[in-house]
Amino acid sequence: MGSGARARGGAPSWGRLLVGALAAAALALVLAPVGVLMVRGVTQADVGAALASPFVRASMQLSLLTSAAALAFVVGLGTPAAYLLARTRFPGRGLVDALIDLPIVLPPVVGGLALLLTLGRRGPLGGALAWAGVDVAFTTAAVVAAQTFVALPFYVRAAKAGFQSVDRRLEAVSATLGARPWRTFRRVTVPLALPSLAGGAVVAWARALGEFGATIMFAGNAAGRTQTMPLAILDAMEADLNAAIAVAVVLAAVSLAVLVSFRLLARVGGRAL
Amino acid sequence: MIRIDCALTQGSFRLAPRLTVGTGVTVLFGESGAGKTLTLEAVAGLLTPDSGRITLDGRALFDAGQGLDVPPYERRLGYVVQNSALFPHLSVADNVAYGLFDLPRARRRRRVAELLRLLAIDDLADRKPARISGGQAQRAALARALARRPAALLLDEPFAALDEGAAAALRRELRRLVRDLGVPVLMVTHNLAEASYIGDRIAVMDDGQVLQEGERAEVLTRPRTARAARLLGIANVLAGQVVAARPAAVVRTAVGDLQSDRPAPPGGRAVQAALRADQIILTRPDRPTEPRPNMLTVEIQEEADFGHSLTLTARVLGAPADPAPTLEIQIAPHPYRVLGVAAHRRWRVHIPPEAVHVMPG
Repeated sequence: MGSGARARGGAPSWGRLLVGALAAAALALVLAPVGVLMVRGVTQADVGAALASPFVRASMQLSLLTSAAALAFVVGLGTPAAYLLARTRFPGRGLVDALIDLPIVLPPVVGGLALLLTLGRRGPLGGALAWAGVDVAFTTAAVVAAQTFVALPFYVRAAKAGFQSVDRRLEAVSATLGARPWRTFRRVTVPLALPSLAGGAVVAWARALGEFGATIMFAGNAAGRTQTMPLAILDAMEADLNAAIAVAVVLAAVSLAVLVSFRLLARVGGRAL
Repeated sequence: MIRIDCALTQGSFRLAPRLTVGTGVTVLFGESGAGKTLTLEAVAGLLTPDSGRITLDGRALFDAGQGLDVPPYERRLGYVVQNSALFPHLSVADNVAYGLFDLPRARRRRRVAELLRLLAIDDLADRKPARISGGQAQRAALARALARRPAALLLDEPFAALDEGAAAALRRELRRLVRDLGVPVLMVTHNLAEASYIGDRIAVMDDGQVLQEGERAEVLTRPRTARAARLLGIANVLAGQVVAARPAAVVRTAVGDLQSDRPAPPGGRAVQAALRADQIILTRPDRPTEPRPNMLTVEIQEEADFGHSLTLTARVLGAPADPAPTLEIQIAPHPYRVLGVAAHRRWRVHIPPEAVHVMPG
């Protein structure tokens, strides 16, 4: 080891200690509560029994169903939007690009209220739907709408970055090889953007799964119809804390899995390009 | 046959190539920024000109007058770019098969095998592009472009990113391939040696225009303008006045009167004389020679040794102009040694009349 390295390693300055201590505090702030939750879930609450209760099972089924439906909407609506934002120039593109991120910063409760005002019985869209005999507010469909609303920008962001990372010359070469735009999109653009698309989808799904504020405003908290897992935690807090902890542990575990898979996808993407 | 006559304005740059590409290789030669790649992209359909026409075998690919712009996927042109642009997620074989989606599977597999053999990359069929060399990638890109039996091939600096050995081998192979295929090839390069080796015809491009197009030897030895001469690497271009026009031009230049073997070009008396550095002959000043035209006395001031040749910068002595002009003289290492150029600074040089090319001023 060189003398310079020894000097630096041997005499830690107060500044370095302070930076280290603050970083440790930040880490603890994030990890400690989750750690405590996990430990209590494993040692005190009977997670297995709680998960078997009909009340918890219903919320889990509903969460899986609605978040899957929301993900389908997010991918179906978000992919064309992301492609247009990544590949075309149109007037107001910058504005659209910025505004599509709005649900990320908008308080979910505000989003839920806005959805209610729009799609509720007296709203401009909801009125028309009600006339046609379709009620959205306070139904399972409202849960899906709320989840789609909050999750969409997470996917669009990632997908847009993914499309932008695809070398346009590859698409040009594909065209000279006789491939129409749709074939080029399927055979070249999507496979090369796939790590980003999948990463965005995973994060968007996690956001939909954890959705609370917009859902409770727009869909309410009816067991079996609109009570997803986060809402079930709220209800369970009053009746059975162990059930609340059990559901929370499941959500926390899913979140960890999402984090890990997102990192893995990012690494696969980095290697592929 | 490809006929190009179109125009496109991008900011302050105006692209307006006019060019006919027949069977064999036509090299589009010029400095970077001359508009070579844009021209190729316009032919491929990746860029839409503002006006004009581009036709392939008489069929219009682009015609501004009729509002016609055939999309690239219907043009049946093979297109190869500098660093191959292989699809990174597909194997070499799948890259080559990419354009064959309308063939039944068995025929597609046969065609791919045939192409991989043709370009001597059959052992790489299952490799991903990241795991092959630049030269191999370029072979794969060429195979992919040939797979659909294109009506013409467009090559954009296909060897520029390769090391010299791989580039030389691939150039040889390309010449063989093109002879067998019998389709027009338009190849962009900024490398003069490559242009000379591969081109049956050379089109010199500068600032968006084709300055000159013609048979290789004609373009290389008889550039039409001083600008073309400079682009084609002719080091000595001297302004002058025609003092005798025919039967053979005599031009009064800063180094003295130079006699050509051809009549002066039509036009004014002001002309430019191009002297190729490799055609100027050194003779020892103490050796008696019979009187010949275009004899000058020079003094060597600088030498640059490029290995396969040396470039001498020599001041012309007793020239009418002041300061005395210099000439660039290129000489091979062997005559350089035999003549003992290193030991003598003062030489008589002879410029054969056929090496004096007179261009309009």
